[in-house]
Amino acid sequence: MRTKVPEFGRYAEPSLLILVSLSDGPKHGYAIMQDVEEGTGRPMGAGTLYAALARLEEQGLIEPLPPVDRRRPYRLTGVGASNLAEQLRGLSEFAQMGLRQLGKT
Amino acid sequence: MTVRSLLLRCYPALWRDRYGDEFEAVLTERPLGPFDLLDILLGALDAQLRLRGRGAHLAQGRGLSMSLRIGGIAAIVGAGLLAIAGFLGFGLVLVDGAIAPVLLVTGLAVLLVALAGLSAFQARVHPRLIWLSFAVTAIGAAASLAGFVGTALAGDAFWVVWFLGSMTALAGSALFAIATYRTAVLSRPAAALLGVGSVLPFLGFAVNGEALLPAAIICFLVGWFALGIQAIRLDRPTAPAGAA
Repeated sequence: MRTKVPEFGRYAEPSLLILVSLSDGPKHGYAIMQDVEEGTGRPMGAGTLYAALARLEEQGLIEPLPPVDRRRPYRLTGVGASNLAEQLRGLSEFAQMGLRQLGKT
Repeated sequence: MTVRSLLLRCYPALWRDRYGDEFEAVLTERPLGPFDLLDILLGALDAQLRLRGRGAHLAQGRGLSMSLRIGGIAAIVGAGLLAIAGFLGFGLVLVDGAIAPVLLVTGLAVLLVALAGLSAFQARVHPRLIWLSFAVTAIGAAASLAGFVGTALAGDAFWVVWFLGSMTALAGSALFAIATYRTAVLSRPAAALLGVGSVLPFLGFAVNGEALLPAAIICFLVGWFALGIQAIRLDRPTAPAGAA
């Protein structure tokens, strides 16, 4: 069954990148920013990070853990993991379709 | 009161209660550049709008954020406007005398956005140099605007303010080029070209070599264009529209 992927507007992409970053375990804000920047080569500012985190938390896709030295880690929820899988499947299908079309030309 | 606590105060109280402590902890982890500052201000505006829209709850919305793409587009548009202003200044095309200064002042304002958008990584390594380049460009753009308005209202006595302001803003681009070249996060040849294009006008005026100015404009334009295009390419969407 396909789960409904929430609309995040301008924050759709940062949200996806955060979910991917959290897919290998809980991380705090700064670690997520570093992970995203290393993985994509693009900067992620703290304003964007927390705007996306707030939306993801509100939708129940991530949840906060108790803070350690003012740094609060976040982890994927079950709903978040299935939403991420759904999004990645969609991307994979899209990429395969594009590659098939390239092969036809 | 520190810059970090000032930035935090731009967010709504409800937001600060929930995220303030950890957000401030994130801000202490690395130097803040113009990119981070704009991104945080846009994030604060987003939080204010969302909280006003739905009372105590965070609402959906398209939102605002700073990105390499915005910086890249601003670099192309800003440098294009400045190049047109420069060539119009040579009298290659006969137009109203006010058009070139208007294009120049607008181009400088747009370049400030480009500087902020393209300086995220450089600011981590050379925060002072990046802030200096931003401040010098901003002061130059403000002086250029003041000189233009003064010339329009009070006559040619203010022309020198406009000229010095524009040259100061060029110096800001030269500083940005140095930071970008040293950091090597964006194209070094493009940064070098931008540096040459920003410095040549000073040489041109110093040795009365007007022939250098067209070359300076071309180097400046190509340098900013190349950096802008690279930034836009780096910021390619990860997901197709509607996938997330």
